Amino acid sequence: MAPTPGEKLTNFFKRRDVIIASALGVAITALTVIIGGWWYTKWMPTALSTDMKSIERLMVIFTWISAPVCGTVVAITLYTFFNRHKGDTPPEDGPAIRTRGPIVILWSVVSSMLCLVAVVYGLIELNSAEGKAQADAPHAMIVEVTGNQWVWNFHYPAQDVTTDKLMLPINQPVEFRIISADVNHSFWPVQLGVKADANRYQVTLADTTPNKLGTIDVKCAELCGLYHAYMETTGAVTTRADFNNWVTAQGGHTA
Amino acid sequence: MTTLDHHATTRPIPNPKKSLITKLNMGTGMVVGIIFALATYYLINPHVDQSVAQEYNRQLLATMFMWSLGFMIGIGAFIGPFRWLIGKDLTDEENLYLAGDGQGIKRYFKYCTDHKVVGIQYLVGVMTMLGVGGTLAMMIRTNLIMPGSKFVSPIIYNSLVGLHGITMIIAMIIVATGPFGNYIMPIMIGAADMAFPRLNALSWWVLFTAIPVLCSAWFLGGIPTGWTAYAPLSVQAGPGMNAFIATIIIFAISTAVAGANITATVVAMRAKGMSWNRVPIFVVGATVSVALAIPAFPTFMVSMIMTGLDRTFATTFFDANFGGSGWLYAHLFWIMGHPEVYVILIPGVAALMEIAPVFVRKPLFSYNAAIMGFAGIAGLSVLVWAHHMYMSGWMPMLNGPFMVTTEMISVPTGLIFLVLLGTLWRGRPWMKLPMLGVYAFLWNMLVGGITGLYLSDVPADNYLHGSMYVTAHFHYTLMGAALTGALAGLAFWFPKMTGRMLNERAGYISFWFVQIGFQILFLGMFIAGAEGQPRRVSDYAKTFATSNMVSTIGAYMIGIGMIVLLWAVVHSWRFGKIAPMNPWGSKTLEWTVPYPVPLVNFDTPPVVTSDFYGYGKAEK
Amino acid sequence: MSGTNTTMTAGKRTASAIVGVLLGVAVVGAVGFTLHSASADPQKKLYATKDSATISVDGKSYPKAAVTLGVYPDRQTAIDHGSTANNKKDWVQYGPSTHIVLPAHTYVTMTIHVYDSGEKLNNPYFGRVVGTVGGTMNVDGQDVTSIPADQVQHTFTLHGLPTTSQDPLYVNVPLLRVSTNEKGDFLPTTDAGTKLQGHTVTFSFITGGKGEYVWNCEYPCGDGTYQGFGAVMGSYGYMSGKVSVA
Repeated sequence: MAPTPGEKLTNFFKRRDVIIASALGVAITALTVIIGGWWYTKWMPTALSTDMKSIERLMVIFTWISAPVCGTVVAITLYTFFNRHKGDTPPEDGPAIRTRGPIVILWSVVSSMLCLVAVVYGLIELNSAEGKAQADAPHAMIVEVTGNQWVWNFHYPAQDVTTDKLMLPINQPVEFRIISADVNHSFWPVQLGVKADANRYQVTLADTTPNKLGTIDVKCAELCGLYHAYMETTGAVTTRADFNNWVTAQGGHTA
Repeated sequence: MTTLDHHATTRPIPNPKKSLITKLNMGTGMVVGIIFALATYYLINPHVDQSVAQEYNRQLLATMFMWSLGFMIGIGAFIGPFRWLIGKDLTDEENLYLAGDGQGIKRYFKYCTDHKVVGIQYLVGVMTMLGVGGTLAMMIRTNLIMPGSKFVSPIIYNSLVGLHGITMIIAMIIVATGPFGNYIMPIMIGAADMAFPRLNALSWWVLFTAIPVLCSAWFLGGIPTGWTAYAPLSVQAGPGMNAFIATIIIFAISTAVAGANITATVVAMRAKGMSWNRVPIFVVGATVSVALAIPAFPTFMVSMIMTGLDRTFATTFFDANFGGSGWLYAHLFWIMGHPEVYVILIPGVAALMEIAPVFVRKPLFSYNAAIMGFAGIAGLSVLVWAHHMYMSGWMPMLNGPFMVTTEMISVPTGLIFLVLLGTLWRGRPWMKLPMLGVYAFLWNMLVGGITGLYLSDVPADNYLHGSMYVTAHFHYTLMGAALTGALAGLAFWFPKMTGRMLNERAGYISFWFVQIGFQILFLGMFIAGAEGQPRRVSDYAKTFATSNMVSTIGAYMIGIGMIVLLWAVVHSWRFGKIAPMNPWGSKTLEWTVPYPVPLVNFDTPPVVTSDFYGYGKAEK
Repeated sequence: MSGTNTTMTAGKRTASAIVGVLLGVAVVGAVGFTLHSASADPQKKLYATKDSATISVDGKSYPKAAVTLGVYPDRQTAIDHGSTANNKKDWVQYGPSTHIVLPAHTYVTMTIHVYDSGEKLNNPYFGRVVGTVGGTMNVDGQDVTSIPADQVQHTFTLHGLPTTSQDPLYVNVPLLRVSTNEKGDFLPTTDAGTKLQGHTVTFSFITGGKGEYVWNCEYPCGDGTYQGFGAVMGSYGYMSGKVSVA
C-alpha cells in the first residue's frame, strides 16, 4: 500500500541523513545570524551620519537574509563530504533521482522570496534616502568638491572658503556638488557613507547629514593614475562654533 | 611506436611535392610578422614626431596590427581562402595535411585544423597566461605586504594591476571553452571535428598574436588604467595603452570566431539521436557562454576602437571638454563587462555539473533546472551592466531598476546550487581531485554570491563600491568558482587529453594550498574593504596593515599551490601513469574513444539513445 | 614523446617535485627582483642643508634647514631616470632630484628657481599659497599669497596619506611663469646674474614627525595629452616625487 503524502513527509523527517543535515543547517543558519550581527560593524569605521548607520544596518540584515541559504548549502555539502566514499574504485551507484518537482518549486519560491525581501528592503532604503535628500535640499550647506589628479579640494560658496580639508558642522544637511578637473575620480568620505564619482563637466550630487563628531577620511575610489593611492585627505565633523571659527580663520564669512 | 606518432605508420606523408602549406609554421609566422611590424614601424617613422603622443600612438598601433596580420599570413592562415578565391580549392590530401595528420609534435606549432591540437594549444596558452597573471598577482601582494609601497614604484604598481587584470580576464574567458570546448566538446557530441576547422585554427593563432602585443606594454611604459581602462584616463595614458587596445581588438576577433564556431558545431554536428535534452550539460554551458560572448565582445572592441581614435586622431568620444563623455565608455565597457563575468563562470560551473554525477554515481539532479539556471543567468546578465555605475552620477533614477535586475540573478544562480546539491544529496561522493572542485566551488560561490548581494544594493554600494571588498567579491566568483571549475575540468579530462593520469598526491597538496590560501587572502581583503581601503592603491594607511599582511600570506600559499599544480601537470604529462580509456567510469562519449584519439574521433559515428546521466539504481 | 610507460620511482618523483617548486619560486622571485630593481629611484636623494640657527614661530623654536630646486623646460643635463626609454631630456622637470629628504620638526626654507612659461591651471585653487609659514611665499623679493590662474607655470604640491602613523603635511605653492622658456641646468646657485631670465620663489614650512609624503605639480604640463596630465605628468620623477621627513 502506497503511503499517504502525510506519511511520506513524516518518514522523510525520520531519515538519519535528513535529521543530521537539518540539524547542521539550523546550527549553521543560527551561527551565520549571530556572526552576521557584529561581523561587518566590527570592521567598518565609526559612522558619522545616518547614511552610514543605515549601511551598517543593511549589511547586517542582508547577512541574515542569506543565512538560511548559507545554512542549507553548507549543511548538505558538509554532510555529503563526511559521508564520502574512500578508495581507488568508484563507489556503488546511488539512488537514480532525476528530479523532484516539489523540491525544485520549493527552492525556486523560497529563493525568490529571499530575493524579493532584499529587493524591497533595498528599494525602501533607496527611496527614503532620496526623500530625505529632497527634504533637506532647501536648507543644505553646499560644498563643491573638485577632484584633481591627485588632490581633492573643497569650495564652500556660501562661506567663500576653499580648502584641502573637508570640514562640516554637525547636524547640518550638506549637499556635495562633485566635479573633476581631469579624469574620473570617486569622492569617498568614508565615515559618512557617501560615494560619488567626479566627472569632467558633469556635476554629481550627493548629500548627507553628519550627526556625530569625529574625523573623516576622504579617499579616491576610482583609479586615476600615478598617485591615485595618495589622493586622500582628512576632514572633521565639528560643532557649529568650531566650524565658524575655522571659516573665519580661512578668511571666509559665517553669514 | 611513440604515442603521438600514431598515424605516422598508418598513412603515407601526403603532398610529396612539398607545397607551400608544408613549409609554414609558427616560425615562419613570427618571421613574417616581425618583418611586417618592422617594415610598418620604419615606413611610418619619417612621418611622425614621436614626442607628439598622437603620432606615436598611430605608429605603435599600426605596428601591432601589422605584426598580427603578418603572423597570420606567415603561418598560412589565408592559403585556404586564397586558393578558394582563385578556384583551386585545397585537395583532400592538403586538408589532411592541415589537420596535422602524421606530423607528431610538429603539428602543435602549425596552423592545424584538428580540434584536438587546437585544444592542447589553448591549454598550454591558458596555463602560460595564468602563470604570468599569477606572478603579477604575487608582485601586487608583495607590494601591499606592508604600508609604504616599498617594493615597486607607483607607476610599476599601476601597470602590475592593469596587466594582472587583463591577462587573467583573457585567460579566464578561454580557460574552459578553449581547452575543453575545443578538445572534449566535439567528441562529447559525437562529431568528427568542429564545424569550421580552419576558423578553429584561426581563433587560436589570432589569440596567440595578441600575447606578444600585450607583453610589449611593459616596454612601452605599462598600462596605468587597470583592466577596465576607463576613459578619459586611458586617453591620457602613455604609449603602453596602445598595447592594451590592440590586444583587446585582436582578442575580440578571436572570441567572435571561436564563439561562432562552437555554437555552429553544437547546433549542427551533434550525433544522431542527441536531441537537445540529451546534450551533456558541459556542452550546454560552453554554448551558452560563447553565445553570450558573441554580442558582448564587439562592444568592448568598439570601445577600444573609440579609445584608439581618441588617442590617435584626437576624436573626442570620451573627452567632455569637447562634448564627449566618460559615461559612454563605461556603458560600452560594462555592456560587455557584466555578461563577460558569466561568460567566464558558466563553463566552469558546467564542467562541475558534468563531473558531479560521475563521482557521486547519481544522475544530474534536475537537468532542466540547470538549463533554466544558465538561461536565466544569460538572459539577466545583459540587463544589469549599470550596477557598476551606481555612483557614476549617470541617471541615479535608474539605480533602482538595475538593482532589481541584479538581485534577480540570485534566483537562477540558486538553481545552479540546487542542481549541484541535489546531485550530492543521498550520494557517497568519490573524493577524487575533480570532485573536490565541486566542494570548493560550492563554498566559494556561496561567499561570492552572498557578498554580491551587498554590492548589488545601492545604499550599501555607497560604501563598498571601488573598495577592496569588490576585489575580494569578484575573485571569489571568478577565481574561487570559475577557475576552480576549470581546474577540476583539467583534472577530470587530463587522462583523455594526455593519455596519462594527473599525479593525485601533488593534486591534493595543490588543492588544499590553493583553497586554504584563497580563503585567507580574500578574507583579509574583505576586511580591508569593510575597513575602507580603496582598490588599486599602491600604498595605504596604517589602519589596513593587518588585513593586508594576512592577505599577502594567503597569496603566497596560493602561489606555492599553483606551482605544485604546474609541476604536477608537466610531470604527469610526461611521466604520469598511463590512463585507461575511461578511468572515472563516465558515460559521456569522450570516454568511448581511445587515446590517442583518432583523427576523426570515431570509427563509426555514435548513435545516442539516452542522455548521459543514467547512473544510479532504481529507487525502492 | 619518447616515454611510453615511463614512470618514476617515488623518491625521484618527490625530488623532481621539490626541484620544480623551488624553480617556480625562483622564477617568481627573479621577476620580483627585476621589478624591484627597476623601481629603484635612480636619482640621488636631495638632502636639505641644516642650519645651526633656530627660529621661533608661534612661540615655538625650530631648527632651520634649506633646500633649493630648479624647474627647467629643457634642461641641458639629464637627471638619470634609469632606462633610456623613460629618460626624456626634452621633458620639463624639477631638479636636481625629485626625491627630497627633510629633517623632522624643522623650519624648512625651500627656494625654487623657475625658467618655464605657462598657460592656465585646470583648477585656479592651485594658484593659492597653502600650508607655508604665514601663508605666503616670496617671489623675486615680494611676498604674495596667490598668483592668477593664467600666470602660473608649475606648482609644488606636497601631500600624503592621512594616517595615524605620521603627521599631516600639506603645502601648495604656485610658481610664477616667465615669458619664454629658458634652457638651463640644475645648478641654481650659479644662475643668479647669468643670462637666464627666471624667477626665484622662496617659501618656508614646518615639518612634523617622521613620515613619507609625495609631491606633484598641479599645472597641466603634459602637452598634447588629455587635460595636460599625460606624458611627463603621468611619469614618475619629472613633475612628481617623494618627500621623506627623516
